[in-house]
Formats: sequence, structure tokens, C-alpha cells
Amino acid sequence: MENNGISRRSLLAGLGAGGALLLAACSSAVDEAGSGASAGPTPKAGGTLKVAIPDDLIPKNLFTNSNTAITALIGLVYESLTRYPNDSIEPKPRLAKSWTASADGLSLTLQLRDDVVFHSGRAFTSKDVEFSIKAYADASWHAQGQLQSTAKAVTSVDTTDPHQAVLHFAHPLGNIFDLLDTVFIIDSETVEDIKTGKGFVGTGPFTFKSWTPNSSLVFEKNPKYWQPGRPYLDGVRIGIVPDTNAIAAQLKSGQVDFAEGVSPRDIEELSKDAKKFNKTTLAGAEQQIYVGTNVTAPALGDVRLRQAIAYAIDRDRIISEVFRGNGYATNLPWPKYSVAYDAEKNKRYAYNQAKAKELVAQIGTLPTIPYTYNTALPVYAATAQIVQANLAAVGIKVELEPVDAATFVKQLIGAEFKGIWTTFHSWAQYTPSTLVVSAYPFNALHNASHFTSDDYTSASQAAWKQPDGRSDAAIAEYAKVSDELLEALFLVEIGVIPFQWVSSTRLSGLSYTKRWELDVTNAYLA
Amino acid sequence: MLRYLVRRVPSAVLVLFLASVLIFAIIRLIPGDPATSLAGSDASPEAVAAIRHDLGLDQSVPSQYLSWIGNVLTLDFGQSYSVGGEITSLVADGFGNTVILTLSALLLAILIAAVVGPIWATTRNHWLESAITVVNTISVALPTFVSGVLLVLLLTVIFPVLPSAGIPPDGMFARLDITAQYLVLPALCLALPVSAVLSRFLAETLRTELRQPYVLTATALGVPRRRLLLRYAMRNALPTTVTVIGLQAGSLLGGAVLVEAIFAWPGIGQLIEQAIGRRDYPVVQVLLLLSVFIFVVIQLLTDVVHALLDPRVRIGGAQ
Repeated sequence: MENNGISRRSLLAGLGAGGALLLAACSSAVDEAGSGASAGPTPKAGGTLKVAIPDDLIPKNLFTNSNTAITALIGLVYESLTRYPNDSIEPKPRLAKSWTASADGLSLTLQLRDDVVFHSGRAFTSKDVEFSIKAYADASWHAQGQLQSTAKAVTSVDTTDPHQAVLHFAHPLGNIFDLLDTVFIIDSETVEDIKTGKGFVGTGPFTFKSWTPNSSLVFEKNPKYWQPGRPYLDGVRIGIVPDTNAIAAQLKSGQVDFAEGVSPRDIEELSKDAKKFNKTTLAGAEQQIYVGTNVTAPALGDVRLRQAIAYAIDRDRIISEVFRGNGYATNLPWPKYSVAYDAEKNKRYAYNQAKAKELVAQIGTLPTIPYTYNTALPVYAATAQIVQANLAAVGIKVELEPVDAATFVKQLIGAEFKGIWTTFHSWAQYTPSTLVVSAYPFNALHNASHFTSDDYTSASQAAWKQPDGRSDAAIAEYAKVSDELLEALFLVEIGVIPFQWVSSTRLSGLSYTKRWELDVTNAYLA
Repeated sequence: MLRYLVRRVPSAVLVLFLASVLIFAIIRLIPGDPATSLAGSDASPEAVAAIRHDLGLDQSVPSQYLSWIGNVLTLDFGQSYSVGGEITSLVADGFGNTVILTLSALLLAILIAAVVGPIWATTRNHWLESAITVVNTISVALPTFVSGVLLVLLLTVIFPVLPSAGIPPDGMFARLDITAQYLVLPALCLALPVSAVLSRFLAETLRTELRQPYVLTATALGVPRRRLLLRYAMRNALPTTVTVIGLQAGSLLGGAVLVEAIFAWPGIGQLIEQAIGRRDYPVVQVLLLLSVFIFVVIQLLTDVVHALLDPRVRIGGAQ
């Protein structure tokens, strides 16, 4: 009988040969990712840091710190005038060596470093300070910086001396150092290149080499960096990996040494292997998860319902289950190190289902409340589901309305939410007045809750216009803002959540700023 | 043949026109707004309005369509809202990567089908047939986002022999051996369901052919079974299989959207996904229209190949 075609022997031989060829070919790409050795205590120069992040760059949004590509690029290429330590708001020198505030709080004189040059080779001067602050609030950028109200209150900058900048203000600015920490110094001669993504010229430890949209960002060591001997790394290569599972897989397989955008569960899982992975909790660079309320929606105009929601939410359960214990419950936006933090006030709406039920009973029949959340991150859905269960337990029925990120932002900015919503806010890690004049959910003049109050507006403005944002007078004003927030309750805080990063133990010296910017000036590889 | 080709062109142009209208309308039906996506969560309504004006989104929808399609006809695809650069260069980069991925996947699928199809059609080994059936069913049934994750887990984490995602750091053509390794997982993930469909189709077609009277006659005349299979039955099975390959090539383009996201492969699939997320209308419109164009061209080519392989098609068409 004639054979049917391909013999079993030839089939197996073919498959075997194919498999062997595949395995032989595969070894080198994985080997090229690097060794599995841990970094030692002595810094070692050289090497390229490989990073995975979930977002691509949006050049015109550079001032917003709105995604991981932007924060990585700013941290590598640019520098600010001053910089806060992660655990306080006491400014430290950066491109400004020292400063003096006028007694009336209407001006600030900054002495600038004279040994700093841009990546283009041009010397950094006071004119760059003026240009950068103006650009930060410039409407020609699609997304202006969140601190634009503070930037606009800087009425002029005296640049007579190239190494001294004198900032004049429309009124005292208690949060001026938040602005100086946030605004990064850009090169006026190449600013148009930023908008098209062709070039990014700063004074930072790394120079921008290339951006391939949807694929990668490449940076090289700045040989003219003003800090001697830094950076240690020869370069940084960032891969854009939109899928969070793929990011975790790249870390596990050693393809990258550092990743952002890893889910809380993957972070928990990876950090169990302490020999291979380090977890970095970005203390001092937190975000707050909250439930927002549209105070003009049916029933939500009654503050008793908002109070019932605040009492009904089991914050500790959300922190534990959704964020795997990373963070802590809160009733007010302020993190524990903030000058506005008040432990007693923070207990005002501690989890109390009995009180919530009592308030619901007083109100009577309630409609079903739409509850919108963003599907971009799984933590929003998980939080919304727990809140939904908590509210159902006290007699408040909500209907979940998941929407994608673009729709969510549209509804947020347009104040279009029909009931309640959940998302993160930030800026409470800075001077407290920054939150109430810059973070949109808290903005006294226009917010997603449709909340208006003369008392809240005047408390916010008074806090902002304090000459010294850390003074006793300022702290007293922050207390008034806190009282207004607790009384009006247009936003129900759930908890303070620090970002977390995961890196391989090959990498040491990883750091960050209060705005989650990547700082690898002192980082080195094994 | 030229006349046959010319007859097919008007319907292709009509499909492209209708597709352009549908694409333009559908993207605008999705909730969300490019201006608010760009402005960020702390923007004022005035800033959003300024962006809408800047992008021309404050004009009427028909006016926006006419402006867009007019530019497309002159090969001016405009600029991306979010990236800021020319869409032409964005698409060129992404398209090149997608072509590499989908062609690799298609070749892999054809190769698998060319091996598995004849074996499946002719084997009398019950266990081998069952094994092929099981693997084939799983390949079709598993969504690519599941098979992709499983492949990554198996071949990059448990047995770290392949890179888990991305493209070669030094570019696609610097070292082909490295490029091949980066290609294996996404191409395999994309190829699996297509190879399963092709294998089954080829096997069934071959079985039908092998039952034809001419096969019986040839067997009686002593023509070797292998020659019968590969020279006669396979040749007769090819025209219809080529049609199915053409259809599957279209599905590969669709499947690439997910696979590129899973494996961080910077092709047009990933570009479309990101552009939809940001409501980057010009990029979405151009990419979807390009996908339709490619599909139409593939169908046209498939018909031409079919007509070349089977003269009855072009003669029937002419009559």
C-alpha cells in the first residue's frame, strides 16, 4: 500500500528540527535583556536602563503630568527651580540656589545657578525662568498646567541679572513654591519642537534622542550635566506597552528593569520575590480616590444623603481589597504629613452603617442614583462595586455606569455626571491651597459637582493668598477649608493612595518627585 | 483578464466611499470628545472650547466630512490631534510593522495548513486524527487575548526563551535573527485561528477531491497515492482555498488590533486602539479607511488569482 503522504518519521523530524532552530534562535534576544545579578551598594557607571510604561507621549499635554510617558520624560530631561523633599513642602535648591521673599509677600528673588547649560549648549539664565512660567500658563498648549491660576498671578519677572530672577505677584501666593517645584525650565529656542514631539531640550541629566510614537522613547546621558559624576547610566530606553499584563510579563522575563502601570495585584505578587524585585511606594506623591456627587441631581442636593454616603462607605475594605493595603482611609483630602492634616476631623465620617440608615430614613424614598466610573483602570470598577454594595446595605440604590476614559473626562470637565462618580484626584500632597484653587474637583468657582458656596470660595481664596503657605495663619485658613469640605461634602473622600513602582533588583538608586516624575540621576545597574 | 479586473473596480470604489461615510459617522457616535481628552481632567470649559475651535470641531459634521475626504483624495491625511505629527508618517511606521506581523502570521498559517490539511485528510490513525481535531478546535475557540496571555506565560515567564513584547530595540532590519524572535509569539497568536480554519477547509476539500471518480480511475491505473494527493487533488483544492486565504487575511488585519496590544507591537492595530481611546478622529478615520482599502485590494487580488487558477470564473463572468 502506498504511503498516504508525509510519514510520521519525517513529520516528527521536521517538528523537532523546527523546535530546535526556534530554541537556538530564541536564546539571544532574552540574553540581551541582561543578567539576573542584583545591584551592589557601590554605584557602577554605564548601562542602559530598560523601562516599560503603558502610555504614549502627548506632546501638547507636557505641562499636565497626565500620563506615565510625560512624567518619565520630564523627570529625565527637565528640571525645576526648586524641589520639595517627598515628605514635606519645605523647598530645596535645584536650578535656584537660594531665594528671599519680600515682607509683603508680593515678590520673590531667586538666585540661579550659573553653571547650568541646556542640552543645546546654551547657558541657562533668568530669561528662561520668565519664559517657562509664561509658557506654563500659555493657552496655545492644548492642556495647560494645573497651577495656571498661580502662574497667571506672577505678574512680571525681572531678568536684569541673568543669574537672578525677581518674581512679582498680583497678591501673596502661599503656594508659590508649588509652582516653582512644578514648572520645569524649557528652552525658548526649541519650544516649537515640543509641540510636535520633534525635540525636548532641557537641563536635566538625560538628553532626548528619539521618540517613535506608539513604540519607544530613547534618552542618552547628558555629558554636560551640572552635577559632577551624574548620571551613572549611559541611557534610558522606554518601551510603550499599553497592556498591563504585558508590562508585568516583561518585568518577570527580565526584558525590562523597571515598569510603571503594573496592577496592584501584580505588584503584590512580584514583590513577594524580594531577590528579583523591589517595590517602591511613592510616599509623598499620593493620589486620593473619592466619590464625587452632583449636588444638583435628584436627592443628592440634600446634604443628609451625602452624609449617609460618607458614613456608609467601608473605606478600610476598599484600601485592603482593591489597593492591597497600599494607602489609608481618609475623610479629608490631606495626607498625614500635610500641614492641613487633622486626625480628629478625619474621623468625622468613620464607617457607621447605623448612622447612614438613620439619615436615609429621615430623607424617605430615594431614587436610583447613577454611579459613573472610568473603565481605564480595574481599581475604579472594584471600588465602585464595593461602594455600591455598601450603599445598598443602608438603603441607597445605585446603578453602575462604566464609561471609557475619554467619555469620563468629558463628563467630568463638562460637569455632566447624573449622580455620583469615582476617580482619583491629586495635588493634596502640595501646599493645601493648591488643591482648592487648582484641582478641578475642588475648584470653588467651577467644579464637576455644581457646588457653589461663598464661604467655601472665600476660605479657598484666603488660604491661597497667605504669604507663607506653612505659617500658622495659613494653617488656620486650611482648617476653615477642611470644615467647609466636611460640611458641604460635595466630594466624599475614600483614601490616600500612593503610587507604587516595581523594579528589578539589578536597579538601585531609583527616585521620584512629588509629581511622580522618574528620577534616575543617581540610579545604576548591576 | 484586464476586462475582468476593470469590471470589478467600480464596486470596489463604491465600497470605499460608503466605508468613508460610515467610518466618519460612527467614530462621532462614540461618546467622548477629542477636545476634552486633550484638555485633561483639570481643564476649564473655555480651554475645551478653544481646542474644539483649533481642531475645527466646531464646524458642522458634513462640512468636516467634505474637508476631510477632499484632503484624503489629495493624499493629505492631516495631523494627529494627540501626537501632533503628520498622520502619513505615523501610518507609514505602523503600517510597516503591521504588514510584517500579518504577513508572517499568514505565512505561518498557510504553512501549518499545508502540513496539517493533507495529513488530516488522509490519515487513518484514529489518535492522530483526534489530536489534530482537538488542537484545531482549541485554536479556533481560544480568543487571541487568551491564547496570547497563555503563550506569554508559557514561553516568556515559565520558560523564558522568547521576548514577551515589543519590537527589537535596534529596529526591525538591524538583526533579522532578533527580529524573528520578537515576531514568533505575536505571529503565532495571530496565525493560530486562521491556520485552524485553513487546515479544516483544506482537509475537507481534499477529502471531497479524493472521493471523485478521477481519483478512483487514477488509483486503478496505479498512480501513486502521494502523487494523486499533491499533484491532482491539491491542485483542484487550491482555487477555493485561496479564496478562503483572502478572507482570512482580512480577519488577520482585524485580529492584529488585539494581538498588537497584547504584545506591544507598534502597528496600526495598536495605533487604532490608542487613537480610539483618545478620540483622535483623523488617525482613526485614516487607519480604518486604509484597512478597508487593503481588504478591498486583497479581495480583488483573490478574485484575480481565483480567475487565473480557474478559467471558468473569468469566462462565466464575461458571459
